Amino acid sequence: MSPPAPPRPVRATPPGPPRAREFGARPPLRLDTRKLLAARLHAVKVRPYLADALFALHVVEDPSVPTMAVDAHWRCYVSPAFVARMPVEQLAGVWVHEVSHLLRDHHGRGERYARQHEEHGPGQRLRRNIAADFEINDDIYGDGLPRPHGAVLPSLLRLPSGLLMEDYLRTASMSPLAADLAWLDCGSGADGQARPWELGPDGAHGLTRQQRDAVRFRVAQGIKGRPGNAPDGWRRWADEAFHPPQPWRQLLGAAVRSAVGAPGPGDNHSYRRPSRRSASVPGVLLPSLRRTPPRVCVVIDTSGSVSDGELGSALLEVAAVTRAVGGRRDLVTVISCDAAARTAAPLCQAENIELLGGGGTDLRSGFTRALRARHRPDVIVALTDGQTPWPSAQPPCRTVVGLFPRPTGIDTDDPDYVPDLPPPWARVVTIG
Amino acid sequence: MTSSTLMSRPAETHDPELGVADTLLSLLRTTTSEPRPDEQLEALTLAVAADLPVLLWGEPGIGKTAALTQLADSLDLPLTTVIASVHEPSDFSGLPIVGDDPAVQGVPMAPPQWAVQLVRAGRGLLFLDELSTATPAVQAALLRVVLERRVGALRLPPGVRIVAAANPRASAADGWELSPPLANRFVHLYWTHDPQVVVRGLGGVWPRAELPRLQAQRLPEAVALARRAVCGFLKARPTLIHRLPSSEARRGGAWPSPRSWEAALTLLAFGTAASVSRDVLALLVRGAVGDGAGLELLAHLDRMDLPDPETLLADPAAADLPQRGDLRQATLEAVVAAVGARPRRERWEAAWTVLAGALETGTPDLLVAPATALAALRRDDWEVPETVERLTGVIGLARQAERSVGRATGKSATRRTSEAGR
Repeated sequence: MSPPAPPRPVRATPPGPPRAREFGARPPLRLDTRKLLAARLHAVKVRPYLADALFALHVVEDPSVPTMAVDAHWRCYVSPAFVARMPVEQLAGVWVHEVSHLLRDHHGRGERYARQHEEHGPGQRLRRNIAADFEINDDIYGDGLPRPHGAVLPSLLRLPSGLLMEDYLRTASMSPLAADLAWLDCGSGADGQARPWELGPDGAHGLTRQQRDAVRFRVAQGIKGRPGNAPDGWRRWADEAFHPPQPWRQLLGAAVRSAVGAPGPGDNHSYRRPSRRSASVPGVLLPSLRRTPPRVCVVIDTSGSVSDGELGSALLEVAAVTRAVGGRRDLVTVISCDAAARTAAPLCQAENIELLGGGGTDLRSGFTRALRARHRPDVIVALTDGQTPWPSAQPPCRTVVGLFPRPTGIDTDDPDYVPDLPPPWARVVTIG
Repeated sequence: MTSSTLMSRPAETHDPELGVADTLLSLLRTTTSEPRPDEQLEALTLAVAADLPVLLWGEPGIGKTAALTQLADSLDLPLTTVIASVHEPSDFSGLPIVGDDPAVQGVPMAPPQWAVQLVRAGRGLLFLDELSTATPAVQAALLRVVLERRVGALRLPPGVRIVAAANPRASAADGWELSPPLANRFVHLYWTHDPQVVVRGLGGVWPRAELPRLQAQRLPEAVALARRAVCGFLKARPTLIHRLPSSEARRGGAWPSPRSWEAALTLLAFGTAASVSRDVLALLVRGAVGDGAGLELLAHLDRMDLPDPETLLADPAAADLPQRGDLRQATLEAVVAAVGARPRRERWEAAWTVLAGALETGTPDLLVAPATALAALRRDDWEVPETVERLTGVIGLARQAERSVGRATGKSATRRTSEAGR
């Protein structure tokens, strides 16, 4: 199943943080299980929502592991020397760190990243491990869980915290860190590449994929069920663990395409002219393929908080999708609208559409304007931040709403604040 | 997959060049196969056996057709492939034929040849390929074939099984998607390829999957288990009986409704009767009712596998606890909860025996929470049994963790202030 392990020098002692070397000459240590388990109890006590995951890990003692490492099958490999030199409270942090690799599926994501970017080999493995550690370390410590010595942070490379592993991999070269962190190794659970000490998929006490999913799902449900207990990073993870957000371009594209391609406009069969196949089968009536190009009207909310860059890219996306399904450019109209509808321009004249506005928002005027046009649109696409009243009745055409999420924390103090949600008859795609 | 009928015909040709080409081709086509478990194929086999419409989602060229060919071979069903995108709606809804006197006889809707042959054979595997690149009218006509099993005036016999295939929304040129009512009728299976299988296959060794077989003696048990699982679960989570997909990202996929729960129940029974792994069951159940509800049902199945607390309390010495830490802790907590629900002295003592037994076969940190809860259940006139002595180590461990948390919370306060200063 897994690719062959990278060649790696076999070391009797993990170099690790410097004090480790003194263990080199001695006979192998016995694992202090008690200390390790007390640390797990500590972790469960301060992070109760991770209890299921922490208890599902199976401990394997192995002196050839540099520190503590996990594999994709939820086994946790522990070096006795590492346990001996770490204080209990720091070991608790290491427990949570390792289980976070598994919960956040770093092995699957690391493998996928390696395949997409063709980055194999020990150096790339280390890079993925460091990036995965960045993703974890910037938000799991604190609140009774001290950060262990040697934990790497994005600030080492002057990177912002709070990003995902993939973001760190894309934006930063880890080479300045690689030499110092060559000892860093969280196992295949962190990057998807098998290690010599690992028991592999057929070894004892491994979890199958379904069991792994079940544990992750239980933890995510636990976090979602008790809002307020878990920090933001974990809550975000719980929301997205089984439904990773899709890129808005694809969603907006699919929404516009299916609105445009539904029966009515677009390629479809009709009996308006007989099919040319009819000539060969006398007596049989056949329809022919006719094309009715769709008319799309884009209503743009120009009331402020949305940046021109965002609006521009969303507008281009709509235009591209419409072209792709056979609409001509002159069939795409753009209306910019704040409290009143301002301009209506076909897209072909409007490479540089001037978006007027800036006052309060009332998209209803934009909808009215769109529907009053001489040729009624087949689809209305509204690009807005949603802070607007909506038409009270469903317009007589399909509606797609591209919603720019409003920055949080604006009106949350106001108890009377009710956001204007897009109506249920519109298909809503959150953009950005 | 590719059929090159012209080239592969044995060499009766007079042209020696072509004869050499034939030899080369037959060498290229000589491959062997090796047994290899294939979860996707097992799931597909069971869903087809259960006579539920399956929709395979997969990128073009990924081997959906090859999988169907293998499935048809092993089920011994003739395979009829219909590529939807090259057909017209009337090929599926029936071609209207004007007869001598339409006013008297009506206009008959003639079925296409493949449908007539399927009906004549009485059995077969109908594969509707490229559903997503067909025009909306063709798709609409096809859905009638899938759901009502009607082609024109013909009705497909029960021995015909139907599988459809579509490209995922992101890669489909015209982005067809299912409306929620249609999506609800399919079992959705996502077809992916394993790079190693492909490389090994091109090297000459293709995988051969052992397909699951239903075991006749397990059928009643399988039905009972599936009914118990689904009913027990929905009793506890009635809100999941019907839940339309709300967000744009989940449209077009599986979602829970009474209809898809019935499909899930059927699939569970088939999976149990064929003794497939939990991973295959997971693919099927999630394909029928969606990820969220499916995962919850699977978690419920896991809990059903745990030993019954009352059995453990009845014979605590013989308690056989699960190996995995989280399951073991869940079992022990269930035992304590059972004692709490009906507190009797003998039950309380039996629970201590279960805990002491757990200490011998597993790690002690799992016992801290259940032991604390059990100790709190004590009534004044109950004497502490001797077994509790054996658990003193657990209390020491709990204290050690307690001290460590104390140190950490003290330290973390100073640490945060120092970080703020930086």
